[in-house]
Amino acid sequence: MRRVFVVAGILALALPLLAQQAPPAGGQRQPGREAQGPLGTVGALGQEVRRAPTPTGPTPRLPDGTVDLNGLWNGGGPVNSIAQGLPKGETLPLLPKSKEIMADRATRETDDPHLWCMPMGVPRSTPYPFRFVQNYTHKAPTHMFIVHEGNIHSFRQIFMDGRKHPPELDPTWFGHSIGWFDNKDTLVIDSVGFNDKFWFDRQGTPHTEQLHTIERWTRVNEGTLRNEVTIDDPGAFSRAFVTTWTARLAAPGDEIMEYICQENNQYGIAGGHQNPFAK
Amino acid sequence: MKGKLGVLVACLSLLGSGAGLVAHHSFSTEYDGAKTFKLTGAVSKVEWTNPHVRFYVDVVEGGKTETWNMELASPSALARNGWTSRTLKVGDKVTVEGYAAKVAPNRGNARSVITADGRSLFGGAADDNAPGGGNQ
Repeated sequence: MRRVFVVAGILALALPLLAQQAPPAGGQRQPGREAQGPLGTVGALGQEVRRAPTPTGPTPRLPDGTVDLNGLWNGGGPVNSIAQGLPKGETLPLLPKSKEIMADRATRETDDPHLWCMPMGVPRSTPYPFRFVQNYTHKAPTHMFIVHEGNIHSFRQIFMDGRKHPPELDPTWFGHSIGWFDNKDTLVIDSVGFNDKFWFDRQGTPHTEQLHTIERWTRVNEGTLRNEVTIDDPGAFSRAFVTTWTARLAAPGDEIMEYICQENNQYGIAGGHQNPFAK
Repeated sequence: MKGKLGVLVACLSLLGSGAGLVAHHSFSTEYDGAKTFKLTGAVSKVEWTNPHVRFYVDVVEGGKTETWNMELASPSALARNGWTSRTLKVGDKVTVEGYAAKVAPNRGNARSVITADGRSLFGGAADDNAPGGGNQ
């Protein structure tokens, strides 16, 4: 009987964690962990980085009381499906055109730009860490940067000096970002000016150049960073929606490493796939 | 019962450790999870490069040498597990097991690399098999 309780307790702990990896409804391709084969995990040997337990101490703050986002972080955005960040029971409000795009991309999943060493865009996450750089003068914050190890050793620039978005922008992978702190607790990043090239996830969830994202980054304790992202894109979705993600603090001493994806990307050769950017 | 509990505990410890299991590149588009290989040969080249570390193994069979191109994780993932660009050297004799490429010949996704003196490389953290370590 005692064993039953132990198993039930373990399941109660495990199921919410497993649920985060559960596939979304709607018959989309199976997202989540790599499958198992006769030799165990089918995936790159050595990719399974062992992580230290996440610290749960108080949220660190700068001398003026503003949350200190410093640290090396893992996660914080979608990889397999952006729908995994929706509140329970919600589905993506895809326009019919977006459903068509996803159905098409399901037939050519190897065209995901991320696989060909292109940037992941916003708010997609990667298996590699990132770091916030809070840049102050003696007066106030001027810029923030998010330094990403992958993909592809890139950075985002966030203007913190009160400027507005320019009225017309040339579309880019990371868009134009302005930011501010909400009650010194939450970093808000408002971004527009994206191109429509990156996929939100491995499901090929699309967006258009009308994409407007509002990220709300809150360090809920020492080791946990919550990212609530509002996605507003009338070209792809029937309404705005919010997806929520969690980033975890990396082990002490871990640092951004070099990740020059283009150096020796042989993706496509083993499976016989063509680079969509070279077609 | 004991076995099932063990599996659950193993699953939980993996989840609790926060092990990062999501690779940059989707395995199933490149390799066949049902097509395995096991071969022994000498390392002829190591590429400690992104997005994946690669090493090449010369396999001699029937007097003919064929070179296999083996894929591993990214350098940063391997480094975070304690492995370095000096872990595997040209000339090392290794036995490699893995999944074969879907289309291209002589390409594999390595899942096990064993040296001639019995050390297991790149699976888990480098200090797992201390003393002596695996990152020599």
